[in-house]
Amino acid sequence: MTHTGPTSERTFALPDLGEGLVEATVLEWLVQPGERVERNQPLVELETAKSAVEIPSPHTGVVARLHAEEGRVVAVGEPLATFAVEAGAGIVGTVPTEEKPTRRVRLRPPAE
Amino acid sequence: MTELAVPADQAATATETSMQQAVNAALRTLLAEDPATLVFGEDVGRLGGVFRVTDGLQAEFGDRRVFDTPLAESAIIGLAVGLAMNGWRPVPELQFDGFAYPAVDQIVNQMARMHYRTRGAAPMPITLRLPSFGGIQAPEHHGESLEALFAHVPGLKVCAPSDPADAYGLLLQSVRADDPVIYMEPKARYWNRRAVRLGEPDLPIGASRTVREGRHATLVAWGAMVHRCEQAAELAAEDGVELEVLDLRWLKPIDTDGLAASVARTGRAVVVHEAPLTAGLGAEVSALVTEHAFASLRAPVQRVTGFDVPYPAGPLEPQYLPTVDRILLAVQRTLEF
Repeated sequence: MTHTGPTSERTFALPDLGEGLVEATVLEWLVQPGERVERNQPLVELETAKSAVEIPSPHTGVVARLHAEEGRVVAVGEPLATFAVEAGAGIVGTVPTEEKPTRRVRLRPPAE
Repeated sequence: MTELAVPADQAATATETSMQQAVNAALRTLLAEDPATLVFGEDVGRLGGVFRVTDGLQAEFGDRRVFDTPLAESAIIGLAVGLAMNGWRPVPELQFDGFAYPAVDQIVNQMARMHYRTRGAAPMPITLRLPSFGGIQAPEHHGESLEALFAHVPGLKVCAPSDPADAYGLLLQSVRADDPVIYMEPKARYWNRRAVRLGEPDLPIGASRTVREGRHATLVAWGAMVHRCEQAAELAAEDGVELEVLDLRWLKPIDTDGLAASVARTGRAVVVHEAPLTAGLGAEVSALVTEHAFASLRAPVQRVTGFDVPYPAGPLEPQYLPTVDRILLAVQRTLEF
């Protein structure tokens, strides 16, 4: 399904990988900017002091930007990727549509 | 770091930006320029805010400057007051305007008065970000229009941007000011994108902005109703009626001079707001026009507002919010007076 409505951005930071690890190296991006991804689709391969791990995408949407090139060391909490996701209005409500309003009232200009 | 469409330090060219992104960019600018600035509220940190307005800020500035609070609005503002007394510059968020009521005691009795009470010893450089007004079909308590309530409280400043550029500039001004400001973000406009240049504020605190020029009548509005008035003006133009649209921007202080100058040009005024009619800010605007532009008036000032009922839940919003037809009818009344 192609989504053409408003989107909002969500930034995904390097999560705590456990075992006291505080950083990881970006081995290989498995997605590219502009690419549509599904939640849990493989996103990036990282290498920690312990092992190489594949991180899944936390969102369904379009990859807007990658924040670290391959080979770079990223600390826990630093941004990895930003996604453009369909704008829900948040927890409640809906995103208003941008429609030109219809009207019934017609005006008469004032006599000058 | 989170890269938004528009860098905080300003590209020279205009870029498509939503109000959501503009507020986010302003918060980044403010957090970067003053280490005393703190952003906190329910879900603003880890989640990035229910409206994504604080997305990426905790990752960039750390959880000591951008942090989540308990679900307790009174405590959020109480915390802001205490931090301000100790030299911090708090920018708390209350998730929805309907959730401001539990915090009113802290807002009115403490935040608004501390500077006065301490004879100037304890300024309150607090900007309360309040996602405001309706238009997103939310349930009860998630849409209100509280500007008259807060404008009535001595010690508070109140503003409401209507577009991304103003959202950026007004937030910079609000946070840098040493007085408490209620900064009302129109939820319905969060996702509207415009090609804008985000930059330093181009108008002083308290200044209105003419967003459309016209000679037959002035529409006065703020927040999301500015856009509704622009739509009405567009339709009126098809009929040969030229409406001026004045975005008040600041609801306290109100730009009396700008208001009077516009009505002096047009001779007619229609004020439009979402809040109920009785004792709404429209009454204040009407009084100011009468006091300062009486000789120019060709017709009584008209008010197009919500109704004197509780702000309705989602499905009834279209019946409650001012429509272009209600605005045009009020204009017609001034033209035919």
